[in-house]
Amino acid sequence: MTKFKLLLPLSLLLTNPNLRAQDGQQLYGLYCAACHASDGKGATGGAFPPLAGSEWVHGDPKRSVAIILKGLQGPIEVGGKAYNLAMPPQGDALGDDQIVAILNFVHKSWGNKGEAVKRDLVRIARTEFASRTTLWTAPELLKLFPLEKQPTALANLTSSVYKGQWIYMPHFEKIQSENVEEEHSGILNTALAALKEDFGIVWQGDFIAPANGEYDFMLDADDGAKLILNGKNVAEVKGIGPLGDKNRSSQGKAALKAGANPVRIEYFQGKGDQGISLGWKPAGAKQWQWLSSNPPKSAPGSPSLILTPMDGKTAIYRNFIEGSSPRGISFGFPVGVNLVYSADNLAPELLWAGTFIDAGRHWTDRGQGFQPPLAEEVVKLTNQRFLPPTARFKGYSLDAKGNPTFHIELDRQLLSDGFAPGTTGTLVRTIKLSGGTSVLEIPLGDNPLVTPKKSISLAPGKSVTVIYKLF
Amino acid sequence: MRPILFLATLCTATLAQQKQSDFYTIESIPLPPGEVMEIGSIALMPANKVAVTTRRGDLWICEGAYEDDLSKVKWIRFSHGLHEPLGMYWKDGSLYLTQRPELTRIQDADGDDRADVFETISSDWGISGDYHEYAFGTPPDRNGDVWVTLCLTGSFDANAPWRGWTVRITPDGKMIPTCSGIRSPGGIGFNAEGDAFYTDNQGTWNGSSSLKWLKPGSFQGNPTGNKYHTLANLPAPPEPQDGSRVLAEHLKHPNYIPPAIVLPHGRVGQSPTAIEPDRGSGKFGPWAGQVYIGEQTHSQVQRAFLEKVNGIYQGAVFHFLEGFQCGIIPSKLDDRGVMFVGGSNRGWASRGNQPFNFERVKWTGKTPFEILTMSARPDGFNLTFTEPVDPAAAINPASYAMQAWTYILQKGYGSPEVDQSTPVVKSATVAPDGMSVRLVIEGLVRGHVHHLMAAGLKSASGLTLWHPEAFYTLNEIPK
Repeated sequence: MTKFKLLLPLSLLLTNPNLRAQDGQQLYGLYCAACHASDGKGATGGAFPPLAGSEWVHGDPKRSVAIILKGLQGPIEVGGKAYNLAMPPQGDALGDDQIVAILNFVHKSWGNKGEAVKRDLVRIARTEFASRTTLWTAPELLKLFPLEKQPTALANLTSSVYKGQWIYMPHFEKIQSENVEEEHSGILNTALAALKEDFGIVWQGDFIAPANGEYDFMLDADDGAKLILNGKNVAEVKGIGPLGDKNRSSQGKAALKAGANPVRIEYFQGKGDQGISLGWKPAGAKQWQWLSSNPPKSAPGSPSLILTPMDGKTAIYRNFIEGSSPRGISFGFPVGVNLVYSADNLAPELLWAGTFIDAGRHWTDRGQGFQPPLAEEVVKLTNQRFLPPTARFKGYSLDAKGNPTFHIELDRQLLSDGFAPGTTGTLVRTIKLSGGTSVLEIPLGDNPLVTPKKSISLAPGKSVTVIYKLF
Repeated sequence: MRPILFLATLCTATLAQQKQSDFYTIESIPLPPGEVMEIGSIALMPANKVAVTTRRGDLWICEGAYEDDLSKVKWIRFSHGLHEPLGMYWKDGSLYLTQRPELTRIQDADGDDRADVFETISSDWGISGDYHEYAFGTPPDRNGDVWVTLCLTGSFDANAPWRGWTVRITPDGKMIPTCSGIRSPGGIGFNAEGDAFYTDNQGTWNGSSSLKWLKPGSFQGNPTGNKYHTLANLPAPPEPQDGSRVLAEHLKHPNYIPPAIVLPHGRVGQSPTAIEPDRGSGKFGPWAGQVYIGEQTHSQVQRAFLEKVNGIYQGAVFHFLEGFQCGIIPSKLDDRGVMFVGGSNRGWASRGNQPFNFERVKWTGKTPFEILTMSARPDGFNLTFTEPVDPAAAINPASYAMQAWTYILQKGYGSPEVDQSTPVVKSATVAPDGMSVRLVIEGLVRGHVHHLMAAGLKSASGLTLWHPEAFYTLNEIPK
């Protein structure tokens, strides 16, 4: 019988859910550790948000309960690092006791000093959020449960706003400012100027360095910006252009003394989108800490992964592009012209000049959303289907240089639609129709600056060449 | 005497411990340096080549993946600019890809080892641009059709046609909507008989992850995409009652096919993925006719035994292989007994600590002492084993413990284990050859997961089971 005395308790332990319901560490290991890691630092070397030392587990404990009950998705900053993931809701799978046990483990582990969670709090939160059917977003949670205020490294910050039309950084010393404000948040935010275009801002104050040593800075802006510390230029984003372009954003280093170091940030905005992002970290540290309200334009926290044509060949990228349909197929031609062809609408839809595409959004985290082209001017040719519903997308072929020809099957006809680089700044489109008798009227786009005419007629057996000129 | 007996028992148990490396070797296949190889699908090709696609849209072909010396593998990037393919096979000189927006045949027409023709076979399902709208595809079935299972838009919506459905694509490109009720698939494949199954992840209308049988015309439990039946003049799928149970809704709506095997959330895994049958080569162990199920969160491969009772599939899942380097997405088992697995931790973390992997598993030729099959009987279960059991241990009902439970079928996310009961093993009869045990059990519950813990069993040679647990989903009790 000795044998069975030994075995029975073991099997009971493994099979009886009631015996382990209260063990927070075990439940954490089962339901949470795959993503947040058993050491609380975030799985896969911190690719997932940490709970250890996280500002999100401190303050009102109802915030943690709310997140477990209803889940969380979208961009969020934890410990100065941006994430864009989704946590499924656990409220319908975990009982109140289990949630209490897990949170009391998380709130007191790894140096955390989160408040104790009582069963009543979970019960009340369950009722309060019962009607909620979507996952929380970080801004929603922050509204209900603000984080304990953490001052940024920018102290005594003021902003001076200037009006004027510039394409390079002006000499702000020689211009009269329109308005000066104190910025107690310690955050750079261009929107506070409440101007759309043709203005500048100069922020001045102290950068509080935590210790003597060397620091890294990362500056990006739409349009220009300059960072000056202790009177020395540290980083500069020159001229006109968008956020998120790796070729424009600027990194710099500065040796700082512990405490206040005078800082000046100059910024100007031309037309279109605006924004500034400024990050800092001790040299060699991994995580950037942001001093601006605008995250970079590409996915927050994700590296910029700029694709460009290589070796004279056309680049291809198939993913969701803002301004086109979900079945957009993008090409970057080695003459500085880029195209999105929609396999939904069976037509070329977007053209732009310059950098091809930033794949950072789609190639990191879960790859959420539509990526805008890295250009302020995007030419929209069409955005609707001109062919009948019976027309079918049959795919594409690539020539030796990677240039595409799309194939469309109509009732008794085949339409082939090819694109190849022309001279610099131009794209050559060759359309052929075969079979049947119907003449097709093919729209070419409405922008007279790039499109020779609005449409052409194409008879079976014929082909036509159209040149789009972007610059 | 007592303390001495106690120690002796412990020692025996320690000596009899079986470990994975005795039976299966897992080797990492070197990847092209500097490339991000988050593998989403694998295809076996002629001439010992293996093709893989990545979540970033590359397609690479590997030579040397079968060789003893893996340091000499060669990689060619055959194609790129693909849209997150999650299904691939080789047929008649072409690779076929299930991409997010379409089923595509790709070829190298000019013979330069780079794909240049991308023929769209079907793009008749909808996508709205949501990252969650994955499309997983099979190799061709016995009729040559490809099965594509279409994830919902996020967790709660179906914002484009046929989200939440499984469709078949015929060789001439016709799309046949085949099953409704899909939530969030992680993989799709066939069992050894060629019937289609998919894995669905715990979430809305899905109390636990499970392996589900895609019986044509069936409803799989999640009504979010039901509305699209009107697009093809199909009958409206069932609208299950919130807060009910799978069995109750199945009895109300016979075409609601219950999950063939529930993979209990947390206990067996959290995100099941690939489905790969063992076609009985005998070169990967004695598991002929069973299916292997990838597991993303736990970085494992599970083993499942399926049987049909009263026309419905059901069966048991067993823990099998573990310790892969990241979350498993695809797997392919070759007739030569090599299993290739690949995966990624991007966006969904796992027990493995690498961002991506490509690994191969081989059987050492040594068979572990395991429960081979667990099969339902009118009054219990029949267990078969990979080697003879010790009759003294096997005949004792106390060598076994059983728990049963089910889940709430609800529109909320997941479910706790509910309606627990404790079926009692009344007797255990050992076959003369010691290769099977017949358990008579009081308190079987139709529709429940039956968790068997056979920690007291020993083989005739003194081994304890490598994995003493089995989870049987009792959709039907045989008569």
